[in-house]
Amino acid sequence: MIELHNVEKTYHSKSGDIDALHKTNLSINAGEIFGVIGLSGAGKSTLIRCINMLEVPTGGQVVVDGQDLTAMSEAELRKARQNIGMIFQHFNLLASRTVYDNIAFPLEIQGLSKDEILKKVEPLLELVGLVERRDHYPSQLSGGQKQRVGIARALASSPKVLLCDEATSALDPQTTKSILDLLKDINKRMNLTIVMITHQMQVVKEICDRVAVIENGDIIEEGTMFELFTNPKTPTTKDFIKSINNVELPAILKGVPLSKEYIEGGKLLLRLSFIGSSAGDPLISSLVKKFDVDVNILYGNIDSIKDTPYGTLLVEISGVRSSIKDALTYLHARNLRMEVMGYVS
Amino acid sequence: MSPEIINLLIKSFGETCYMVAASTIISTLIGLPLGVILTVTRKGHILENAPVNSVLGAIVNATRSTPFIILMVAIIPLTRIIVGSSIGTTAAIVPLTISAAPFIARIIESSLLEIDHGVIEAAQAMGASPLQIVNKVLLPEALHSIVLGITLAIISLIGYSAMAGALGGGGLGDLAIRYGYQRFRVDIMIATVVVLIAQVQIVQSCGNYISKKLNKNKL
Repeated sequence: MIELHNVEKTYHSKSGDIDALHKTNLSINAGEIFGVIGLSGAGKSTLIRCINMLEVPTGGQVVVDGQDLTAMSEAELRKARQNIGMIFQHFNLLASRTVYDNIAFPLEIQGLSKDEILKKVEPLLELVGLVERRDHYPSQLSGGQKQRVGIARALASSPKVLLCDEATSALDPQTTKSILDLLKDINKRMNLTIVMITHQMQVVKEICDRVAVIENGDIIEEGTMFELFTNPKTPTTKDFIKSINNVELPAILKGVPLSKEYIEGGKLLLRLSFIGSSAGDPLISSLVKKFDVDVNILYGNIDSIKDTPYGTLLVEISGVRSSIKDALTYLHARNLRMEVMGYVS
Repeated sequence: MSPEIINLLIKSFGETCYMVAASTIISTLIGLPLGVILTVTRKGHILENAPVNSVLGAIVNATRSTPFIILMVAIIPLTRIIVGSSIGTTAAIVPLTISAAPFIARIIESSLLEIDHGVIEAAQAMGASPLQIVNKVLLPEALHSIVLGITLAIISLIGYSAMAGALGGGGLGDLAIRYGYQRFRVDIMIATVVVLIAQVQIVQSCGNYISKKLNKNKL
């Protein structure tokens, strides 16, 4: 649905050129929720604005729904943008228009008649749950309600793509949750492709299918949520994961030297991650029964990535060398991800 | 006060209203597009155009820095071409308009610049053309602030119109000078000043009221 080929953006200023985005390649599939996460100044805003050409890339190609936006005239581009909805961190509603008129705005731009507009806006008011607020002004709404208006407005022209620019960053956690639920619902119902940039890992975890991590204008890591969660490769990604899934060693083990080699009478520290149905398997009890080992759980957590349950366990296994080896082979064969941290005495 | 003087006051008040109303309307018609152009051609705005912006800005500044009384005399030939005469109430409208139009242009520019760039960006993201952004975003969003600005312009025009007496334009200011000052009629002077104060108060109150009604930001 969205293809970025070698897209780059350089800002020219008196104090020199700033490369906001280096050659970036990205492919986002139809119907998926794609997250771009990064710290402020990483280039994520520039990236999302390149998708609808609010920022014109200095190089490369932007293809949305088979159309090359970078090769278009101004008028063609305006037409193509009607296929790409966008919502913003600060909502950017028109203060002088009511909720209804804000949602009607993109349709007015397209020159639809009053009747046609009415037919489109009413179901949208219902979708975002603001029927009773239709004649209110934005200043009379809460943050969450404003973002709902933003979403309805973005959906008014029945776009195929929705771009979310830090859409929940200005909202409290509870409102964030309800906005994310709404986006998830819309994604399923309309098979809408959603691209969201955020610095909140919680948001990405809640709704994204795939994620890209951006840093200093480069995409440093990209993959499904599970891949990123269970096997983060770069320090930045690890930090992001840590922010919501804190599997730190318990205090008593902190600073204790970890040995790669078997230590007589020692314990092996393991971090296990499960996803989906395997999270329900009685893994620990079968380990204990099948092999002559003791298993001690140091930390455990069950969470969900999008709607799939996802569990993390930090365990220590003790036993003779051969039993531990067998236990590891057994674990390897299971549908889970395992990280051997080392032996402690 | 004799009925004669009251009649004089009413006549002068009518002249002031006529000069101010006509010059406000015409200068708004000129100042509005100028203000819009000054705004949208700024750096980073929707139709960035440095040459247009700086040339227009220079003309506006030049007009604004000329004192009204000098401008009025300097453009007498132009006034004659437009109105057919360089004296009288109608003739005074020309210099009043020429001095107020750039003022209104700047007022409109500053009102339009108050609009958050994010709102303009949102409209662009929906595929709005520059003209649609001006008509449907910039002007409606800034309307309450523009109304306050034009109120300010009307009040300055009431002040300037007092000088129009120099062109035989009549009006309250002229009355105050000719009768109140030159003929030592303190009562007329006071009456004129009272009417002028009342007029300014009413204009300001109306402006505040309309602007408040239009402003949906703070409810």
